[in-house]
Amino acid sequence: MVSLLRTLRSARRVGLKEWWRQMQYIGDAKSGTYVGKDQFGNRYYENRNAEEEIPGRHRWVDYAQHYYQASQVPPEWHSWIQHIRKDPPTQDLIMQSSRQPWQQEWSETLTGTRGAYKPYNTAAPKINAWEPKVTSRG
Amino acid sequence: MSFARGRAFAAFQSSLKLLQLSSSMSSRSLPLTRRLLSTSASIRQLQGLKSNNTDLESDMKLLHHHRSHDPRLFDEAGRDLNPYREGPSAVDKAVHLFFLTEIVRGMWIVLENFFRQPYTIKYPFEKGPLSPRFRGEHALRRYPSGEERCIACKLCEAICPAQAITIESETRMDGSRRTTKYDIDMTKCIYCGFCQEACPVDAIVETQNQEFATETREELLYNKEKLLMNGDRAEAEIAANLYAEHVYR
Repeated sequence: MVSLLRTLRSARRVGLKEWWRQMQYIGDAKSGTYVGKDQFGNRYYENRNAEEEIPGRHRWVDYAQHYYQASQVPPEWHSWIQHIRKDPPTQDLIMQSSRQPWQQEWSETLTGTRGAYKPYNTAAPKINAWEPKVTSRG
Repeated sequence: MSFARGRAFAAFQSSLKLLQLSSSMSSRSLPLTRRLLSTSASIRQLQGLKSNNTDLESDMKLLHHHRSHDPRLFDEAGRDLNPYREGPSAVDKAVHLFFLTEIVRGMWIVLENFFRQPYTIKYPFEKGPLSPRFRGEHALRRYPSGEERCIACKLCEAICPAQAITIESETRMDGSRRTTKYDIDMTKCIYCGFCQEACPVDAIVETQNQEFATETREELLYNKEKLLMNGDRAEAEIAANLYAEHVYR
């Protein structure tokens, strides 16, 4: 059980439905300002009031998928939620200008599924079997 | 101190009693040294003989009644100088008090923290702070033009202390030297970061991604395509981190 006052305050702020969702996923009632949403629909929140959220727990993500997983956070938001960068990528000019046109879409770790990475050799084989060429005898 | 002295005194007294007993029994010439069935306590009781250890006290008795052996002292007016000599000592009482209340005091701390908000970081939703110099999963980068950076100088392969990197190179059709094979065995890698320090063109970097755990060992044998894919996906984050660190390099 968390502190009763904090639970009630957060439940009053976010509403009963959102509170229930938080208890099902995060397991703790939290309330804060909405920071943004990534391309996968994950929503990001922040509460920098140290009285309400213990510093270190002040940024959190609400995953869009039921089968949530840490690698579902794209790298731009990953560097925000792990406190590597101060600003979220929606406001971070350096992060926005670092984005390249050839950049590819992020995908979560596909290990354990059919899309999992399988290693293969990228170099041409060094030893080739002799393939005899028979010239026809006219 | 009084506790220890009292005990020593009691022990001394009991040993005196033992001495008296043994001397009386040696006069009766009973075999004390050999323990036979005929001399055991039950047999002696059956034969109507008096057991020789009735005057012995148990250790617990000595512990709890040690103070009764203190001498009675009176002042000139005949008042008892030590009226508490029969009861438990101050140390005994303090020990009982603190050991009993220790349970309550421990439970109170549990109760306090029960109503506080948890310090636990709920991991996949909240994450602890990470340095921009964190060394996680590897990636091969590209120039802004889209050309791959790695020039197959093999410095990373040479410096790798775990010898996890394997590089083979070839001259490309346009005459530039590029790798045909850039394999990193992530099961060998010790994440020391020497490869990204050795790299003259910032091609191989260790990203801040730490969520690349796999189900099979095979999936951790990265080849060039996989490393380039890592770089293509996380280029914005890598470039922003390198920009944040460029003043220190």
